[in-house]
Amino acid sequence: MIFAAPWVLLGLIGLPILWWLLRVTPPAPRSEDFPAIRFLLGLNATEETPARTPWWLMALRLTAAALVIVALARPVLDAGSALTGSGPVLLVMDNGWASASDWVRRKEAAAALLDRAERAGRKAALLMTAADGNGGRPAVSAEMPVADLRARLAGLQPQPWPPDRAAAAAAIKAWGQKPGTSIIYVPDGLTDGPDFAAFAQALTDAGAVTEVCCDAVPPPLLLPPTPEADRLIARLAQAPRATPAAAVVLAQSGDGRTLARTTINVPAGATIASGAISLPPELRNRLARLVLEGPPNAGSVVLLDERWRRRPVGLLAGDLSSAETPFAGALYFVRRALDPYAELRAGDAATLLKRDLSVLVLADRPLPAGPEREALTDWVRKGGLLIRFAGPRTAEEAGNDTDTLLPVRLLAGDRQLGGAMSWSQPAGLAPFPTISPFEGMPVPEEVRVTRQVLAEPTADLAAHTWASLADGTPLVTETPLGAGRVVLFHVTANADWSNLPLSGLFVDMLRRLVSLSAGVASTEDAATLAPAQTLDGFGLLGDPPPAATGLRGDAFGKTPVSPAHPPGLYGPENGRRALNLSTVLPVPELSPPIPGATLETMQGAAKERALGPPLVALAILLLVADMVISLALRGLLRARIAAAVAALLLLAHPALALDQGGNPAIDTRLAYIVSGDSQVDGIARSGLEGLSEYVNRRTAATLFKPDAVQPGQNDLSVYPLLYWPITASAQPPTAEQVAALNDYMSRGGIILIDTRNSGSGAGFNPGADEALKRATRGLIIPPLAPLTIDHVLARSFYLLTDFPGRFTGDAVWAQRDQDRANDSVSPVIIGGNDWGAAWAINADGINPYAVMPGGARQRTLAYRFGVNLVMYALTGNYKGDQVHVPAILQRLGQ
Amino acid sequence: MPVTPPDTLQAEALGARLPPLLVAAERVASTVAQGVHGRRRVGQGDSFWQFRHFVQGDAVARVDWRQSAKSGRIGPGGWFIRETEWEAAQTVSLWRDGSASMRWRSRAVPIDKQQRAELLLLALSSLLLRGGERVMLMQPDARPVGHRAGLERIAAELPRLSDEQGLPPQVRLPRHGTVVLFSDFFSPPEQIRGLLGRFAAVPVTGHLMQILDPAEAVLPYQGRIRFRGVEKDGDTLIPRVESVRDAYGQRLQAQQEEIARLCATVGFGFTIHHTDQPPETALLALYAALAPR
Repeated sequence: MIFAAPWVLLGLIGLPILWWLLRVTPPAPRSEDFPAIRFLLGLNATEETPARTPWWLMALRLTAAALVIVALARPVLDAGSALTGSGPVLLVMDNGWASASDWVRRKEAAAALLDRAERAGRKAALLMTAADGNGGRPAVSAEMPVADLRARLAGLQPQPWPPDRAAAAAAIKAWGQKPGTSIIYVPDGLTDGPDFAAFAQALTDAGAVTEVCCDAVPPPLLLPPTPEADRLIARLAQAPRATPAAAVVLAQSGDGRTLARTTINVPAGATIASGAISLPPELRNRLARLVLEGPPNAGSVVLLDERWRRRPVGLLAGDLSSAETPFAGALYFVRRALDPYAELRAGDAATLLKRDLSVLVLADRPLPAGPEREALTDWVRKGGLLIRFAGPRTAEEAGNDTDTLLPVRLLAGDRQLGGAMSWSQPAGLAPFPTISPFEGMPVPEEVRVTRQVLAEPTADLAAHTWASLADGTPLVTETPLGAGRVVLFHVTANADWSNLPLSGLFVDMLRRLVSLSAGVASTEDAATLAPAQTLDGFGLLGDPPPAATGLRGDAFGKTPVSPAHPPGLYGPENGRRALNLSTVLPVPELSPPIPGATLETMQGAAKERALGPPLVALAILLLVADMVISLALRGLLRARIAAAVAALLLLAHPALALDQGGNPAIDTRLAYIVSGDSQVDGIARSGLEGLSEYVNRRTAATLFKPDAVQPGQNDLSVYPLLYWPITASAQPPTAEQVAALNDYMSRGGIILIDTRNSGSGAGFNPGADEALKRATRGLIIPPLAPLTIDHVLARSFYLLTDFPGRFTGDAVWAQRDQDRANDSVSPVIIGGNDWGAAWAINADGINPYAVMPGGARQRTLAYRFGVNLVMYALTGNYKGDQVHVPAILQRLGQ
Repeated sequence: MPVTPPDTLQAEALGARLPPLLVAAERVASTVAQGVHGRRRVGQGDSFWQFRHFVQGDAVARVDWRQSAKSGRIGPGGWFIRETEWEAAQTVSLWRDGSASMRWRSRAVPIDKQQRAELLLLALSSLLLRGGERVMLMQPDARPVGHRAGLERIAAELPRLSDEQGLPPQVRLPRHGTVVLFSDFFSPPEQIRGLLGRFAAVPVTGHLMQILDPAEAVLPYQGRIRFRGVEKDGDTLIPRVESVRDAYGQRLQAQQEEIARLCATVGFGFTIHHTDQPPETALLALYAALAPR
């Protein structure tokens, strides 16, 4: 502990004088003028010992005085060593992407060091080493008192791009050398480019450096993943560390839910490590970003765009006119098989190849020499996957040996198995060889091949065969060509030659093949894409900063992230391109300490605490106690005054809120069923408060403060709507509770049961589904059906198509519409969207719980669902008539 | 007819000369006067006694022409002389204590003792003047006043009224006059005895009215209190006022009894008035005590 103003302690010398003064001065009696004093003189002569201040009261006063003196000397606990120098203090903070993870600690450490400068009465200036969102280059601020600088420091945010060392060094040089300058440097631990040496030199030239370092590890940088056939390879880069580390990568969809996670183990000393994320194609297509688990920063998020998921498939038949004929057309079964999983395009070859394509399916279309074959060959060499099906035309052309875009050379004609003129039987499939991507798929017995084209036997035919018939003749062959691949099915794509297209195996084979293909980048053209949503320093998507400008489509992957091009999503809604921080960034490199710098740890710097304020507070408390005691000694402390003071003191406490405020039978109010979990009950209460407030604002209904109720203890009949959040620990209700709730529902009450675990919230309330079964045991719940937009709830006030709460996506259940009991008003509505949290507002009128996936729209819709629910509870099926309006109108029109 | 400005100014000047205390005194006196005299009053004036026939030798100026004209008869035979009651005006000397102890009031009452004493003094003066008596303040150079307008002079001289240590100054008093003293009479009984002896030697009779604040009567304080005198008579610290209340009451009562005894010996009256009581009762009692027996 040190004293910032130790000379004030001299005041302690005065304490004995104070003691003497206090000792000789008795507490003054109340005095009154009184004319008839002659009759009082001489009365009560016994009181002659002069009243002295009691010793304990004197000790109290002396203690208070001593506390004030000590507090004025500004004691500081755990103070660090003073900064060297006596001139201005320059605070240099790295605020690039790498400092976001422990940004608050960095600010605390900087503030603590600034405290030392303030104690020395020095002025300070600030330099942030990363460019700001307006595109301004790093510059040293004006020198200002530390108190002003602290206010500025509080508002600073990390940026999603790396620090600009060269500009920072130039800024320091421009600031100039002033005598006695001290520099506080809060680094992010990385060199952030080749200019670090110059930057360090500029720092040491400018003054005595105090560096806050060495107890924070720079975060790893998540690199864009590498797509592979059926998985994504997530990669991360980090500055080499002495110990092995592990990082967890979460693959998240656009609405924020985690679809997969993988652990990447980084060996000691390694800079790059990777791990695979395996996902079914349909899930993989929903991936929106990869996130490193841990404190967020811009480097721990990789946004995925179309390149990582789009697999456009082109379809081209030899006979375009009949290709789509149901059950007979060449492409009918292919289209049916791939439609749910891939984006399909049709057209002629030139049209198809104009746009990006992952896979092209050619059904019995021979490719004679010509521009079309040239174009296709080029496309395959660049990475396309060409899937060809044989057929009569292919068989006819095979003998001419003109079609070179085939995996194997074909024998002329086709081979017929079975039939009236043949001894042989239609052949089944052999198990798939191990080199095949189809390996492991079950081979159905009923698949029979009646005709096929034959490959010319060669030594390496087996190496190119992915599937063969039971007699060993190849059914599917392939060959790589450039970066791409050509695959040939030796049968037709319809049921003419085999019943393979009729089997489920056909669908699986095609899907496996499509997922083998490389993704395509959508627009590689030169069109400029405007930034749509950009990441901030903490890796959250938001509006682009002012300096953000558009980026040419062909510059993605080559452009480093900067204020002009912040990381994020660019382009129109249907063709978003992601610009990621890590695409161009070099592997992070640990920065060496600044030569000659005094090193401070972040922990140590932030630990000091000023003791003055609590001491003064204690002294004031003592003086208040002294005043009360003095008043009591002088007989001035009447009972009424004491009561008033006590009441004032009690008022200072937060009022102990009573649950049942007012008579619910007079005021309409919502209620929630107490779950026993104080947090959940708090959310429910603030949620209903928020909803009541919204309803009062938007509708003619007037709702008062919501109540907490216990079924069986409170009278439920006065509440139109009960909100019942289910906790995982919910217990089966008692007989009285069951009776009360059943009675409530049978008389027209509505209970909104919320399991709070749908959609993104699956992990928030584990076990709620089981708890729901437990908690509703014994309740008479009618048959339920999912809420549709035809339900009255979807139109009782607002027209809704969705019923989101904090989460969204899962169905909400209500009584089946055809059950006409109770005027078709559902007594219970069950969902898991955590509406209470979405509606909740705190004392400042702010929604404390973020909605997922998010957005003001979802919040609004959640409130609207609440309004509809309240209206439904208050008006029943009044708006239900409108359900029939279309039918009535139609009848009238006829 | 609208009031002309000079008339207005004159009315204001008249009003300003009548201080609020005087108004209050007139109001108090009028209630008492009505209570005592009102029903007896007939005719036009207080001093009317009777009409008698004009006889030879009466001055013509004394003829009441109006009454004579009413009779309807002619000549000296029908003339009436208006006779007034024979009035021997008595001089009443008034004094109120102006010492610091009188300028004090407790928190319970709105006025101090001196204000009450002056109110009573002026109200009594008003009554006496209406009754035709002559009134003077006990002051060395004071002269008695004997008409209604004299009340204003009394009121104007009142602030200059002097005293000697809570007792009236030694002035020459008209013999067989009446003296009325307003004070709290906290002086030692020996001084009061000397004063009364002086009065009895003139000789005059009179009345003493002790004016007390209710706080002085009952000592309503509590707790530890330092009492300070208001006339340099020291102070005393009472640790528990409740415990001395009875003793105080006995001392006060002994003083009052001693004064009453002294008054009785020289034929003076003695009454006690508390400032929280209405002044009318005190005035009535005073007026009744002064009425000729």
